[in-house]
Amino acid sequence: MRRTHRLTAVMVAGVTLAAGACSSGTNASGGSDTLRITAVATDRAGTEAVLKAFQAKNPGVKLTTSYSDTDQYQGTLRTQLSSGTAPDVFFAWPGNGNPAAIEVLAPTGYLADLSGRSWTARIPAGIKPVTQVAGKTYIVPMTFVGIGGLYNQQAMNEIGAKPPTTWSQLLAFCDTAKAKGKVAFALGNQTDWVTQLVNYALVPTTVYASDQSFDQRMKAGAATFAGSGWKTALTKYLEMNERGCFSKDPLGTSFETSVAQLAKGDAVAAIQVTSTLNQVKSQAPQGTGFGLFPVPATDDSDETRMPGAAGGAFALNAKAKNPELASKFIDFLATPEAMNAYAGATGNLPSIPNDQFKHDPALQPLVDFQKAGKTVHFMDQLWPNPKVQQTHFTGVQNLFAGKADPDTVLRQMDEAYQGE
Amino acid sequence: MVRGPVGEVTRPTGPGRLGAEADAAGPAVAASGRRRRVRRAYAWFLVPALALYSFVVLLPSVQGATFAFTDWDGLNPTRHFIGLANFRQMLEDPAARGALRQTLVIAAAVTVVQNAVGLLLALGVHSRIKSRNVLRVLLFAPAVMTPVVTAALWKYMLAPEGALNGLIAAVGPDSWQQNWLGDPTLALCSVAGVVVWQFAGYSMVIFLAGLQGIPQEVYEAAAVDGASGWQRFRHVVLPLLAPATTINLMLSVIGGLKLFDQVWVMTQGGPGTATETLSTLIYKNAFQLDEYAYSVALAIVLTVFVAVISGGQYRLLHRGGEAAR
Repeated sequence: MRRTHRLTAVMVAGVTLAAGACSSGTNASGGSDTLRITAVATDRAGTEAVLKAFQAKNPGVKLTTSYSDTDQYQGTLRTQLSSGTAPDVFFAWPGNGNPAAIEVLAPTGYLADLSGRSWTARIPAGIKPVTQVAGKTYIVPMTFVGIGGLYNQQAMNEIGAKPPTTWSQLLAFCDTAKAKGKVAFALGNQTDWVTQLVNYALVPTTVYASDQSFDQRMKAGAATFAGSGWKTALTKYLEMNERGCFSKDPLGTSFETSVAQLAKGDAVAAIQVTSTLNQVKSQAPQGTGFGLFPVPATDDSDETRMPGAAGGAFALNAKAKNPELASKFIDFLATPEAMNAYAGATGNLPSIPNDQFKHDPALQPLVDFQKAGKTVHFMDQLWPNPKVQQTHFTGVQNLFAGKADPDTVLRQMDEAYQGE
Repeated sequence: MVRGPVGEVTRPTGPGRLGAEADAAGPAVAASGRRRRVRRAYAWFLVPALALYSFVVLLPSVQGATFAFTDWDGLNPTRHFIGLANFRQMLEDPAARGALRQTLVIAAAVTVVQNAVGLLLALGVHSRIKSRNVLRVLLFAPAVMTPVVTAALWKYMLAPEGALNGLIAAVGPDSWQQNWLGDPTLALCSVAGVVVWQFAGYSMVIFLAGLQGIPQEVYEAAAVDGASGWQRFRHVVLPLLAPATTINLMLSVIGGLKLFDQVWVMTQGGPGTATETLSTLIYKNAFQLDEYAYSVALAIVLTVFVAVISGGQYRLLHRGGEAAR
């Protein structure tokens, strides 16, 4: 009998606990002073930094946040939007090319039109097109992100090399690193999104340096990946692999392992997005210096272009539970104070440049290329659907596995592009 | 004379038997009526559970399945009925065919190896070896861990410069080292190996329960009859383990066909599409490629596939088990 009582007590306690745990989230969206925000985990540090500053200015506001990895984030956000449970303000990607990019989300009417906001006039012309859909602004872009050769200064000194400025120098750099027992470029192609970075670093030079209208011609059906400088880029990517530029077995190496290789100095460099810099630094021994170089694709350094584009951005839910407070937060995000806090925490540049921002000296080449107008948007930002990017990921992995050649991969990308 | 007795016999027998039946049927009818009433009363107890199950499982599933006949992208408020177009697309989709092939291979490999290893382990820890309880716990321990966690650990151990290649380097030539998850010809086997490592202990526990249910007398009788160790295993243990074998095979086939977590964490279906399973393809189509309706169609096919294979397998094994007994 006593046993039955004890069992009943345990069950009651369990049910109470479960009910308590399940009900703790219900007041997340209520109240005029509550703001719900969600962001992708890679931009957590930046989001937390601006939330802290916003909270300091608005002490009465209750902020509820949630973060998840990119894949999960995109899936969850779409489900929340279609079921009417999306947060007031959420992270979204500029342009097109992935399931949570504004070109995909805006036509469905889930995003609020921000065109009337005063700060939209300050968005630089270079990134403006990817913040708009059909002439209307839907996001406040937070960062300007680049892709280049992030290098470990100590490892570079150990092999006695300098950052390469031409394609021949780049191949010689690989040989030098290899001869000194180091990996020239850490590459984690097991992680799908990493597979695209080398092509993204080469294509601005092999395609856009001589053909700035490539995207318009693609859209009009007058150009193809297979018949463009994309083929040169893929061929050079393979050449680097055959030359031994990359980590041992890139297909078995993850992004995390490649970051560790660069941080420890086992690898001299890695072709990565600049937002990885803070992660690399956090894993490196104290006092390790890092730098960045634009990746050359020809033997004329004047031709070199660098991928640089709007990175993290936030959108306002058209059906926000608390539109007034959400708009106030969106306006705050566009202030130099918030931009700089966000860019500083994520290791990027603010998307709207301002004099108050002191950038990491390692990012100087990106600043210089941005000023010189030698940056090119991330390619997928102007692709018509997410399939092109997925086909690119799979294609590069097949290329490295010897199961495809550049022509096959580019033909598949063309089919995915035209499939829309 | 002849008729008399016949008449005598037949006459009373007929109505007499009927009467007896009627007498007996009285309480029988009453009893079955009572049973029916009791059963009906019990049925009322099922109603809340059935209502909850319908509301939480059946209704959303059926509602979700209807998306397979539309062109919904998972986001747009509008959608159109397109009939069986998604199912026709599946037949022409090389990615779906590849995923189906890989799913079957991995399910078959996991089922066979996991149960063979599980049975061997169960036989081992069922013997009178020392510290067998500790061994049982250790061998079962991986099964209680989350698949995502074990997959993440193995991803590091199977890296080109990971623990496994380090171990091989210490004991053998460099040529034995492999790119376990990065080589398309090896990746599927590596993933299957991790699944077996994690769940062989689970199969072991079920086999062990079966082994412990076999009476000692049966072993003794077989020994008295002069059966060798192998004969005892083949003709006594295996047939009596049939129920445990049925459960184990069912669970591992279903688990193998639905495999997602380990594949997603270790390879994301790569390199290329070498480890793409139906489950990872469903995920990619739903959440990365804006093909929600197509992914639902794939999910329906997977569900039917799992139901047919496991149902067929159960009938086959169950019949086999009954025959053995």
